[in-house]
Amino acid sequence: MELYIYSAGIVSGAGSNTTDDFLKDAPVYNTGKLLAAEPDYTGYIPPMQLRRMSKAVRMGIAASKVAMQHAGIEKPDAISIGTAMGCLQDTEVFLNKMTEQDEQMLTPTAFIQSTHNTVGGQIALLAGCYGHNLTYVHRGHSFEHALINAQLYLNQHPGEKILAGGIDELTDNSLSVMQQCGMYMNAETPAESILASKNKGALAGEGAGFFITGSDPAPNALVIKDIVLFNTHKEAEAIEKVTAFLNHNNLSAADIDLVAEGIDGDSHTASFYKNLNSSVFANNSIAAFKHLSGEYGTASSFALGLLLQMVQNKNIPSFVMLNERPGKLKNLVIINHYLHYYSCWYIQAV
Amino acid sequence: MAQSAYIVNTGIITAIGNDTAACLQSLLNGRSGVGKAEYLRTFWKDELPVAEIKLSNEGLAAITGVPDTWPRTALLSAVAAKEAWAPFAERTTGLRTGFFSANTVGGMDLTEDIYKEIKNKLPYDFNKVANHECGAITELVAAHFGINDFVTTISTACSSSANSIMMAAQMIEAGMLDIAIAGGADSLSRFTLNGFNTLMILDKQPCQPFDNNRRGLNLGEGAGYIVLMSERAMQQCGATAACKLSGYANANDAYHQTASSPDGTGNKLAMGNAMKQAGLQPADIDYINLHGTGTANNDSSEGKAIEILFEGKIPKASSTKAYTGHTLGAAAGVEAVFSVLSIKNGIAYPNLRWQTQMEDVSWKPVTELETGLDIKYVLSNSFGFGGNCSSLVFSKC
Repeated sequence: MELYIYSAGIVSGAGSNTTDDFLKDAPVYNTGKLLAAEPDYTGYIPPMQLRRMSKAVRMGIAASKVAMQHAGIEKPDAISIGTAMGCLQDTEVFLNKMTEQDEQMLTPTAFIQSTHNTVGGQIALLAGCYGHNLTYVHRGHSFEHALINAQLYLNQHPGEKILAGGIDELTDNSLSVMQQCGMYMNAETPAESILASKNKGALAGEGAGFFITGSDPAPNALVIKDIVLFNTHKEAEAIEKVTAFLNHNNLSAADIDLVAEGIDGDSHTASFYKNLNSSVFANNSIAAFKHLSGEYGTASSFALGLLLQMVQNKNIPSFVMLNERPGKLKNLVIINHYLHYYSCWYIQAV
Repeated sequence: MAQSAYIVNTGIITAIGNDTAACLQSLLNGRSGVGKAEYLRTFWKDELPVAEIKLSNEGLAAITGVPDTWPRTALLSAVAAKEAWAPFAERTTGLRTGFFSANTVGGMDLTEDIYKEIKNKLPYDFNKVANHECGAITELVAAHFGINDFVTTISTACSSSANSIMMAAQMIEAGMLDIAIAGGADSLSRFTLNGFNTLMILDKQPCQPFDNNRRGLNLGEGAGYIVLMSERAMQQCGATAACKLSGYANANDAYHQTASSPDGTGNKLAMGNAMKQAGLQPADIDYINLHGTGTANNDSSEGKAIEILFEGKIPKASSTKAYTGHTLGAAAGVEAVFSVLSIKNGIAYPNLRWQTQMEDVSWKPVTELETGLDIKYVLSNSFGFGGNCSSLVFSKC
């Protein structure tokens, strides 16, 4: 893999990169669900259209526009999106009316906007992008598959620019269902103790992370060298696979400047990272990101955005670090999980 | 392109048959699967015909031995995937296998039964919502068949499974996988039936694609997969190929969230680019399996796009949705199977129930079964909401 990441548009629980103060201050909250701090959409989405857009759609469109602006392009040649849950809000609006009104007197708007490819379709429509357009909906690997697709597309269309993004929104009912199954925490937890939380369940989250990607090197870009994906319910197997990922890329721990980890506030999954950090990455600088983004199926898109921001601004916020800051940011690794879906990323700053 | 992706087998279940042989027989006999819903519990069952598979969830589960508590889409997917995969399952040691499955409905058929309880914070059976996500459907089936080298789910509305076939071919061509089972599945649900009903594009009678008096589409359900292999995998598995996937393209119409542009901008791009990739001229195409939903808008856009692209030399073309209904996320998988069968058996399917020439399109579809043909190249179209347009080209080996 050799996928260059030129620019990002981020909407997240930690704010959005539409303003210069993004990631300037440590997060402050006391909650079990970290909703996106949405930006002022003026200038990104016409007000008439904004009124009709669900949160997923407006976050996605704003994030895509910011990414395009930062890359200095009007429209991408192609679009590749990942979303674990799709447009939940509109799905629920239609489902609610259908069940309450016994299939009578229904209107189409929410149904139209409930399809999983709504965000990709809307971006294409607003930008006039007639190119390749795909939406992946494979749970905790949705965004990663969108990037693999971007690479496959670029192999056949070198030199083109493809917009790749990850997006998921939280609703009251999705939160309650995932709390019931133990995936999301019930307790209100302060930001500073999320990463060492003793809670059962992760900090619920949502957000959009969109990127302009391509096949050509450019200054201040990141390049994704490899993404290894696996599913497992066994911690020991997960740690073995991380080691295999490093070996596959001829990476020793000493080569890695920073490891960004998907520690999510769930005491159960914390043990995987704890054991990883006391063995494989015992001498590495470790960062975390889900105390900023919350946990959701495409949270790795936030992690990628965070790394790009840090590299481009040459600034590592203290509140992302679990230990000492690294001296440089060259060889970067993301280790993420969502349920039993794991991803290991090898990224270099160009 | 390093290597070709050969198509060595198919698996399918639709309202016209529970496997490839049964579907082919129905296609040859002109037997449509459109009728009254017996298993879908909807207010509209007497008014809106559907192409439903006449098996209960228990009956479907029994075919593959999976739990009948799975969402119906997963049950359908397992039936078709089993037919496609069974001949090779024991021969793939050392080969990397992927499962590329599309769907649009996920576990909605179960979720919609308990949504009121979830919303009103009343007790409900968590198992009914546990597999709600589209990706969960694919995961259940991939795990059942022990496929884990690469597993993904695509959801681009009605074009979904064309895109899973496209990605599968790309990964085989790039040497990232040796074998791929690719296509999609979707079951009927009240959610989709009512959604399409609000758009006023459902036909209250059996649909008539590409007819001047067409009134809309009938929803269907099903699953369709093709097995793609590299040459090396074919040798190891002792498989033979009827055809290969020689072209694919995905484009966006960028016109409207649910409607196609009048002259089929996205349709033309998808068809044109797929033929270009296959190294073919429009005149080379022997048969087009149309998207042909039966809505006023789709058939008109698709018809015009074909008219422009094929410049007065329109190949044999027909929609098979009058047989199977519109199976949404499964449609391109189902029609990929029909495209393979067209090449293998030298047949062009009749566009059932066609009566009247469309006024705004100059050509007419195949209306009687044609057999004994030498079909070398088939183009299959799938267009959907969100402007998503995909076309595939199948070439005889």
